[in-house]
Amino acid sequence: MSAQLPPGLQLEKTDERIMTLNVGPQHPGSGHMRIIVQIDGDYIVACDPDPGYVHRGEEKMAEYRNYITNIPHLERPVIHDSCNILYPYVLGVEDLLGIETPERAKYVRVIASELNRCVYTLYWLAIYGIFLGHSTMFMWPTGDRELFIDLLEKMTGARVTHAYMVPGGVRNDLPANFEDVCLRQVDYFEKRIAEYADVFYDNPILISRTENTGVLSRTDAIRLGVTGSVLRASGIDYDIRKREPYDVYDSLDFETNVLRAGDAYARSKIPWLDMMESCRIIRDALSKMPKSGSVRVKLKPNPKGGMESVYRRVESGRGALGCHIVSRKKPEPYRVKLSVGSFRNLIALPYLLKGERLGNMPSVYWSLNYWPVEADR
Amino acid sequence: MGTATGIIRALNSGVRHIARKRFTLRYPEQKLKFVGDGYRYDPITGVGIAGLKGRHMLFHDHCTGCQLCSIACEGVAEAIGMVKVPETHKHNKKSIMPQIDYGKCVFCGLCVDACPFYALYMSNDYELSSFTKEGLIYTPAQLQVKPYVSQDAEIQITDRGATHG
Repeated sequence: MSAQLPPGLQLEKTDERIMTLNVGPQHPGSGHMRIIVQIDGDYIVACDPDPGYVHRGEEKMAEYRNYITNIPHLERPVIHDSCNILYPYVLGVEDLLGIETPERAKYVRVIASELNRCVYTLYWLAIYGIFLGHSTMFMWPTGDRELFIDLLEKMTGARVTHAYMVPGGVRNDLPANFEDVCLRQVDYFEKRIAEYADVFYDNPILISRTENTGVLSRTDAIRLGVTGSVLRASGIDYDIRKREPYDVYDSLDFETNVLRAGDAYARSKIPWLDMMESCRIIRDALSKMPKSGSVRVKLKPNPKGGMESVYRRVESGRGALGCHIVSRKKPEPYRVKLSVGSFRNLIALPYLLKGERLGNMPSVYWSLNYWPVEADR
Repeated sequence: MGTATGIIRALNSGVRHIARKRFTLRYPEQKLKFVGDGYRYDPITGVGIAGLKGRHMLFHDHCTGCQLCSIACEGVAEAIGMVKVPETHKHNKKSIMPQIDYGKCVFCGLCVDACPFYALYMSNDYELSSFTKEGLIYTPAQLQVKPYVSQDAEIQITDRGATHG
């Protein structure tokens, strides 16, 4: 049987034994994308990921809106990591307009960004659990995610799409006694996250399904240009928060987690270890934050940039997230280009799935920390 | 660690949760408590005041009909339209005030940031469901009404886990 595919997607067919299988785009195991796999019995011979089903034209939309009204729609690709996807845009606009952000706002942004990273990672972990048939690992992170959503709701006024960061700081200051509530919930979460090891990460069933599955070697990781947790799971210590510290990350105490194995197990473990570091960062930022001061610089209405372009990048839940803004002396940006971690990690999928069993496809695919909507933008 | 030990540890970890209290918020009976009365904005300092970004509150005695909220919404959701109101105010010569379509609103609060006259705020009311699309359009008279909300559930952390009280 041969599926009618567009010319670019037609995989070479070498043998009568090989069958082409479409996984997605409505399949729960693929999200809003299609993975075209060729299988020989139960083994994957070739694979072609086919993203683009949820393309929204975010970059084009950004050219018709001014620097402030871009904020609510630019966070739409990843609504559960909305602070992190706005972060490079906001940093870039600040460079363009020459705004000096208040010190307190920088700390508040870091806290919001780390809380949001936990929200994203817990959601990702819940889906990873249910992909592997582990219902408990779907329920626990979904419940614990509520702790962080609650904190973000107190902080920003919205549960998912916060529209909190703006060029020149953040929209509003932290509410009263936020620090106490935040510390209490983060402390509880740290105890809670340790329990995930017993039920999930040390679980022999998970280990047997993910260890030595979809191994990405160190050299391949560099060659393919993957980022974020996928890169760190292959033994390369690369975290933009450490390498190119933005805002106040250089003054905070945290470490990057690196594992050598490069398999699906290592890739699934790195975000979990990163959440513990996020808790450390939040605690450290709360203690070092100036207790008072402004959190937002008042901008002129419809601010204009010069004839220049900036590129800023941050470490998001899925890896490096860059934003290139070109300004042509108008209130609207001339061009906004988002360079997202999801799309960079997807390139590794055909290499990782070759020779794997079809049943291992979800565990390898989701371990790449891929979010279809962000990749399509 | 052997396979059997690992499985027993995993099961044991689950069994310990039987004694724990339920974390789930029982929504219609319990409602989450938010900080403050909703999102507000101070145009003098240029900084907002933390609160839930829910349904708007419009103060007719402050609104001048300047349309800045509507202009702010143009690039976002186009949810705000200016409509004629029957009453006349000295400060509102054209007698126009914002009408908000909650079928389009994304609750970003940029309209609140745009208002220089302390006329538009957001409240804690988020239960806006309606059987018709027209029911989602709130006229200036409806926006004037202060919503009645009873929200008191909060996350409580005890030795036996976290609950919603």
